[in-house]
Amino acid sequence: MAKFASIRELKIDIPKEAKILAERMLKDLENSKRPVLEAVKTSLDNSLYNSKVGYLTPGDKIVRTELNVSSVQKLARVVFVLEILLRNLDIGSVNTKRELYYMCKGLIKGNKSLKPLDFEDQSESDSIIDFIGDMLEVYREELNCFANDRGGQTYSQQLVVTETLQDGDKAIIDLSTLGTSPFQPKNKPQSLKLKAKKKIDFCLIVESEGTANTLVSMGFTKRNNCIVMGAQGVPSNGVRGWAKLIQDQLDVPMYFFGDLDAYTLQNIYRTLKAGSAASLIRNADFSAPNVKFLGVLPEDVKKYDLPHYKVRESDPVEARALKKAKDALEGDPFFADKKNKNLADILRWLIKEKIRCEQQSFFSVDPNDPIKTEKLILEKIKKGIYV
Amino acid sequence: MSKITKSSTAEYFAKNLQQVGFSSPLKAVLTTLKEAVDNSLDACEQAGILPDLLIEVSKIGNGSTKNTDLIRIVVEDNGPGIEADDIAKVYGEYLASSKFGRGQCSRGQQGIGISAATTWAQMTNARGVSVTSKTTRMRKALSAQVDVDIKTNTGIVKNKETHDWDREHGTRVEFISDGRIQLNGDGGLLTYIEGTILVNPHMTITYKFNEADYVTITRVSNEIPRIPEATLPHPHTFKLGEFITHATLFGKVTLSKFLKTGFSRISDQSISDFVKAGLPKSLLEKSITSISDEEFKKVFSAIQNTNLMAPSTKSVLTVGEESLSKSITRLGEIDFFAVVTRKPTICDFKPVVVEVALARFKDRNQSTDTSVTLLRFANRVPLQFDKSGCAITWAIESVNWKSYGLQQSKDSLPNGPYIFAVSIVSPFIKFKNASKETIDASDELVAEIRLALIQAGQKLSRHIKKEVKEADLERKLAHIEQFGPILVEGLARIVGAPESRKKKAEEGLKKLLGRESEEAIADLEAAESKLLEQKRKEKKMGIEHDDIDLEDEDFDFGGDGEESQGTRKTTTTTAKTTTAKTTTAKTTTTTAKKTTGKKS
Repeated sequence: MAKFASIRELKIDIPKEAKILAERMLKDLENSKRPVLEAVKTSLDNSLYNSKVGYLTPGDKIVRTELNVSSVQKLARVVFVLEILLRNLDIGSVNTKRELYYMCKGLIKGNKSLKPLDFEDQSESDSIIDFIGDMLEVYREELNCFANDRGGQTYSQQLVVTETLQDGDKAIIDLSTLGTSPFQPKNKPQSLKLKAKKKIDFCLIVESEGTANTLVSMGFTKRNNCIVMGAQGVPSNGVRGWAKLIQDQLDVPMYFFGDLDAYTLQNIYRTLKAGSAASLIRNADFSAPNVKFLGVLPEDVKKYDLPHYKVRESDPVEARALKKAKDALEGDPFFADKKNKNLADILRWLIKEKIRCEQQSFFSVDPNDPIKTEKLILEKIKKGIYV
Repeated sequence: MSKITKSSTAEYFAKNLQQVGFSSPLKAVLTTLKEAVDNSLDACEQAGILPDLLIEVSKIGNGSTKNTDLIRIVVEDNGPGIEADDIAKVYGEYLASSKFGRGQCSRGQQGIGISAATTWAQMTNARGVSVTSKTTRMRKALSAQVDVDIKTNTGIVKNKETHDWDREHGTRVEFISDGRIQLNGDGGLLTYIEGTILVNPHMTITYKFNEADYVTITRVSNEIPRIPEATLPHPHTFKLGEFITHATLFGKVTLSKFLKTGFSRISDQSISDFVKAGLPKSLLEKSITSISDEEFKKVFSAIQNTNLMAPSTKSVLTVGEESLSKSITRLGEIDFFAVVTRKPTICDFKPVVVEVALARFKDRNQSTDTSVTLLRFANRVPLQFDKSGCAITWAIESVNWKSYGLQQSKDSLPNGPYIFAVSIVSPFIKFKNASKETIDASDELVAEIRLALIQAGQKLSRHIKKEVKEADLERKLAHIEQFGPILVEGLARIVGAPESRKKKAEEGLKKLLGRESEEAIADLEAAESKLLEQKRKEKKMGIEHDDIDLEDEDFDFGGDGEESQGTRKTTTTTAKTTTAKTTTAKTTTTTAKKTTGKKS
């Protein structure tokens, strides 16, 4: 059966690696030696950032799981789930994490001797799957385990996407023929090839999918040769991979337009641009380092007199984000880098002023002009008012 | 002009019975019972008799007030009895007491309690108390009804008659009055009985509530507690007004005589110290009846400003660790317990002794989320109300029980199926109010109680630690058994290994993990030997834990976590110390769960 198109040139053959690993463990047990499983430590203190590279890369730290009385349950589970994933790879089957959880439960139900392994809830099986990925240093998708990726709705009059299907056929999607509907990349955007019918000037990624839709409905993509994409909050892997594809294959300037607040800056923009600590292994293929931060900027607030409001202590998300911002300025290698000094400055400004300003506030500048926001965005791009 | 009349003490109390424990129908029953039992126990102890009590409480109809029942309370004892002439005074007169101001650690002190109970019965059922009494001097027993004459504060005896009785001496009282019966909970009758049983190991009690059967709990000690000598109060515990009032008890004596005989720790040396501190020397030989209040004030402040020796601690008595430990087994089947009796000490210039007993019960029907059952005692009388304001409660809440293995939310009582019993004995206990429901929390007292609790907690934690280690070991062994094979099978499948390799790997795994379980076993052995050490020490002091016979040195903790061996001589050890009546002694019924039989 034909294999799915791969995301990258995988250096390892997963089934083979898994076999080697299992063999090693078995040999250790035969000799009464404690087998040890090592995985890359996916945390901020093990993240390195180099502006030339553009995304967070893993450091040297590893997490060692040694077999002992307390960890024997986890390791037994790892082997159990690994078997399932290997079988999936073998027969070409694909499952989401939740589906895998139920498959596990079904297998355990059918085999009495497996009962001690039983999972209480999905989070337990999720962490085992993540551990296997970290251990083998492969993407979850390469284990044929896919997440429910959301966001990434894309509008453009010039973009053409060619998708190579699993049986070799090609599907060609011309986004200009989709009418008002967006194109939404699924979780393996890397299997797509992009082409521009006419020169595309820039790609605008908007934090709010709704606002992206508004801009397009008012004719943004008609008047400009561009791509407009809605991130829909924190960018999923699909969105991140898709943005990278656009950056690499079309080589157009990319701008991110979102709220001016600590949460957006740290969790949405930074993740889009440089990946995250939790996905250290995959940041290479799932981040778009060239994305620039278009707004809302502190100077926009002053220049356009944008309505904004104070961060309330009781607001859990924002207040926590501000606290995290302080830590980020000290401990996050992304914000510590000289190249990102302006971004760090914005964070400092936010911590000091304790305000937030939403992207939709741009609509207050001239409510009588329905495309004022579009004009402002274009003005900013032209004048270079971005970070 | 309105007339101003003088009321008698009885009138005052009749109108204010709620101040002395009759503020609700539930409390009325409990207080009546308590007062009668207190009197019985005190009388028996004073006369050197081992108390045998009979208690009956039952609902016999509807009460006269809304939402109350008519309750019959009977308390019968084998005490010395009350002389015919005294019956009226005891039951019918307020503040007529043999013990007022005496500075002894007796249960009753003021002479209010039983008279209040009589008044309550009169007011709610138009009939005072029915008393039957026989002393050794009397040929026949005397029965009568005693009412309180409210206006004159005297007792009225009615319907006297004499008759034979089945005993040499004793007293029986019967109250019929409004109330409600509550058996369980803090204010319940069973809780009261439990507490009374705990701190009176020398008492045998038979009780019957409503329709239930008679229950008899036998004594576990034949020692009658010696009530220590009455002690004089220490001058530093008095306020000015009390000081002046105290003087009036002494009549026409000189000031120096009053000081030396009315208080403890005042010697000639102290008197000269007082003079140095400002006491006018001329007053010393003056008769106190001729000393003015102004002059008393000078005397008082001179005394307060002089350092005096702390009072002697001979005036307190304890139940004792040995007796407490035997007594606690009367309350049910216990898993384990810890008792601590502190040495007598001085708190706020008063001699105090604190005793603590903590026990975990097997079938307490309490989940680990409910608070421990708290039994508080003041001079061996259970306190059941106003728990939150009591010095004892404060002390318990201030200890970090988590470090001893119990669950506890911040600043509250710990949780679990435990009984916490704390007893304070002192000739001068300061209660928060006249109903004597809760002890005033002075810093020194709370600190002393805390120390006792901490000592008990440490002992208790050894038991708990052993349990925890046992559970830990079990868990580890289970993990090895369960997950080992699954892990090896999975690996073998992935690799495609033959059966022989699988077997070898399983062996290897067992060896690996077996090493860990050996560590856990060593841990457990360490905890067990610490516990054994503690039990040995306690045995020397007379405290028996009835699950392991420490005399049998043939003890094998079993290097592979198996059950321990050794013969069980629990019945004989307890028989040595208790009386022959082991009908209800729960010690004998907790037969060893671990089987005998030497393993080959």
